[in-house]
Amino acid sequence: MSEYLIDRRDMDFTLFDYLGLEDLLELPRYQGYDRETFEIVMAQAQRFAAEKLAPTNEEADHQGCRLEDGKVYLPDSYGDLYKEFCEIGLFAPVHSPEHGGMGLPQALGMALAEMMLTAHPSFMFLPGLTVSAAHLIEAFGTDRDIELYLERMYTGQWTGTMCLTEPQAGSALGELTTTAKEVEGEDYYQIAGNKIFISAGDHQLTENIIHLVLARAEGDAEGIRGVSLFIVPKNRVDADGKVTGPNDVTITGIEEKMGIHASPTCAISFGDNGECQGWLVGERGRGINYMFQMMNEARLVTGLQGVAIGNSAYQAALAYAQERKQGPKVTDRSGEQTSVAIIEHPDVRRNLMTMKAYGEAIRAMLYNSAYLSDHALHNEDEAAKTKAQDMLDLLTPICKAFASDVGFKMTELAMQVLGGYGYIKEYGIEQQMRDVKIASIYEGTNGIQALDLLGRKMRQKGGALFMTWMQDTNEFLIPLAEDEFFGDMAKEVDKGKNVLGEAAFLFQSTGKKDPEYPLLHATPFLRMFGLVESARLLLEQAALARTKLQAIWEEHGVESDDQEARDELSERNDEVLYYENKIKTASFFIYQLLPEARAMLKSIQSEDRSALDIKF
Amino acid sequence: MKILTTVKRVTDPDMKVRIQPDQSGIVTEGVEYKMNSFDEYGVEEAITLKEAHGGEVVVVSIGPGAATKELRTAMAMGADRAILVETDADLDSDAVARVLAEVVGREEPDVIIMGKQAVDSDRSQTPQILGSYLNWPQATFAYKVEIEDGWAVVGREVDGGTATKRIKLPGIISADLRLNEPRYASLPGIMKAKRKPLETLTPDDLGVDIAPKVKVLNYEAPEERGAGEMVDDVDDLINRLKDEARVI
Ligand SMILES: Cc1cc2nc3c(=O)[nH]c(=O)nc-3n(C[C@H](O)[C@H](O)[C@H](O)COP(=O)(O)OP(=O)(O)OC[C@H]3O[C@@H](n4cnc5c(N)ncnc54)[C@H](O)[C@@H]3O)c2cc1C
Repeated sequence: MSEYLIDRRDMDFTLFDYLGLEDLLELPRYQGYDRETFEIVMAQAQRFAAEKLAPTNEEADHQGCRLEDGKVYLPDSYGDLYKEFCEIGLFAPVHSPEHGGMGLPQALGMALAEMMLTAHPSFMFLPGLTVSAAHLIEAFGTDRDIELYLERMYTGQWTGTMCLTEPQAGSALGELTTTAKEVEGEDYYQIAGNKIFISAGDHQLTENIIHLVLARAEGDAEGIRGVSLFIVPKNRVDADGKVTGPNDVTITGIEEKMGIHASPTCAISFGDNGECQGWLVGERGRGINYMFQMMNEARLVTGLQGVAIGNSAYQAALAYAQERKQGPKVTDRSGEQTSVAIIEHPDVRRNLMTMKAYGEAIRAMLYNSAYLSDHALHNEDEAAKTKAQDMLDLLTPICKAFASDVGFKMTELAMQVLGGYGYIKEYGIEQQMRDVKIASIYEGTNGIQALDLLGRKMRQKGGALFMTWMQDTNEFLIPLAEDEFFGDMAKEVDKGKNVLGEAAFLFQSTGKKDPEYPLLHATPFLRMFGLVESARLLLEQAALARTKLQAIWEEHGVESDDQEARDELSERNDEVLYYENKIKTASFFIYQLLPEARAMLKSIQSEDRSALDIKF
Repeated sequence: MKILTTVKRVTDPDMKVRIQPDQSGIVTEGVEYKMNSFDEYGVEEAITLKEAHGGEVVVVSIGPGAATKELRTAMAMGADRAILVETDADLDSDAVARVLAEVVGREEPDVIIMGKQAVDSDRSQTPQILGSYLNWPQATFAYKVEIEDGWAVVGREVDGGTATKRIKLPGIISADLRLNEPRYASLPGIMKAKRKPLETLTPDDLGVDIAPKVKVLNYEAPEERGAGEMVDDVDDLINRLKDEARVI
């Protein structure tokens, strides 16, 4: 069985040193917490992930889910696991403490989620979807809804789902055909229609499941503007939350699929007998707005799946490469041809370094996004709050799509490092690759994310979001460009930033004449942005690492230009080693990976339309 | 019933330990700390006993200010209050026992439950030394504990098997790893623990001279273990265990 491996050092550095998690204690919402509490919470989550989640992941994947007599059964291990997971209070760590959540910072929640997603990606769908659904109810539901559902969902007593997709309505949700009919004299609607691909759509772990269903109320407009959101419980409940009987919700099938076998993907039929009751959330016709508000949160978690699974594949590959002996070192002139660990081979090192650099970059990106949401939600200074929300809006599609694509790429590189042993099941890499792929498809495909970035976020507030990002990046890079040590790297990142600006400018001018042309490049543009943002984050981290290093050298009386003394210190001091590696990681990213952005600009500047002109 | 239990903040046993170049100690930069795992069994047992018999669990640690983290963790698991005897010194087992004896004098618990040893120094002495200072009965290496009518019936792990011992309380029990499965500190428990009382004392406050009686000359890393060897078959294995290793 594969081992549970996480890079706790990098998680801690990113959270506490780079982002400054403790600064959040100044926000009124988080007063009363302290670092010690955060550390204890992390220790418990890590222990639970290592001792309970990770050991059942592989077997759960093997066993999968099954549908029998209209009921979905999850892997055998889920019963105890679910109960314990709820008991230790990990169900809704960042959500409202007034309603059963733990009220911890979003940034900390990211680290907790990374620990658990690494250990058992399929299992985490259950709490993930439930808190998303509950959060929607909290934001837009009535007092009755909140009273009835919220605490039960934030504590895992009931679970939840998000029912958007229909056979003919995937990315284009406006095409959906599920209907809602007002019932005279009642506060509910009658729901009828078929949903597919619904994660956590059914199971026997809890007494009830609360579906949030997109449907069109009778008489409302065609298309997206006529779509409303409804709360549809699997079982009807009375005012005290006591289950009174079924609500005409039928599971008609579950999908066979590539990965996340231990998360059921269900086809659900609502109202086969005309008796399915659903309660409208908020106003009619605003379902998509509500959903999107919530989906931003879910998109970040989806990006985090890339971070968690990608990094865990890297950790496995790293451990393997240090053990596996194959072939002599290329510089070995002894004639003995002694096999060395494959980590000695330059090609393997490049693969490992690529994973490390990507992995740390997307971790920083996702943790940063959560840190931004902490400020966007709870900062009382209006300007700071707005700015955080703006940056979060801009970066969310990048966090989702770039990180999920990179996460998948990391599993592929990891498999390459293991060779045949990666392709077979033994080391768990093939499961990681299968499990992470979904992240680029659901919660809005990565193609849709690219459209969101290019078509909406780049234009939002007349382009002000992007301008603010450019300005912040300049403010960081300009002084650093003068730095003796980081000057060259800063200049490279600055070029990357300008490349983005040029592409955006070009889209603006060509887009008017040829609106399809920018869209042809939406996905590369998102990737460019991801690369530049990654480089920026890694360089910031490297600069901080250098400051930390200088303090340690000083303490040990080591001159910063005395390479021998520095090496000797890093031999026996893991802190020094970590910081020195952080700087090398930034350097690798900036010189080896970032140049891809320039190549993409070249392809954008080509004005080549062949993909649009070709007759397939 | 009043139960006193002890926790030590130790270096994470999963980390690679490095010795200072001058051999005066281990490198502590970048080292993670956690609760001694045998103490986790002790804390769990203390809480289980309280749940069964009622009373109070007091958790004590002797160590640096940062050991409040281990104390809070124990309170998050369910201990009621904590005492930190704060010192940055590395105490020998005898000094630890004398500090604890003073704490016991103040607290007058009915039973003391400790880990059988700390996983950093692996000395396995403190419960026994404390027993002699207090002149209390002790039952070490417990895998099972039952309390009835002022007596503790303790199943113990001993060489070659198990043994049962009955001790009159107040007494000292040291926990072995099969005693129980330590619970998780729940997130609500962690929040609650922030409000539980934590008293900080110093060895001076308790009138204990912690000057070490054991002198540490130097630290040395154990020899690296050589690579394993594959033997051809069972017969070969048995022969070599007989002739080379001389263990059978
Ligand atoms: C395992 C799994 C779990 C899921 N869980 C849920 C769930 O819990 N709830 C739920 O409601 N749904 C769920 N889904 C559905 C998922 O969200 C959809 O599959 C996704 O939204 C894409 O829709 P589609 O599959 O119909 O693809 P399509 O929309 O048909 O897209 C196919 C391709 O066309 C591209 N495309 C589509 N429209 C455009 C456009 N306008 N411009 C450019 N490119 C476009 C897409 O990017 C994609 O590459 C799940 C799916 C899976 C596989």
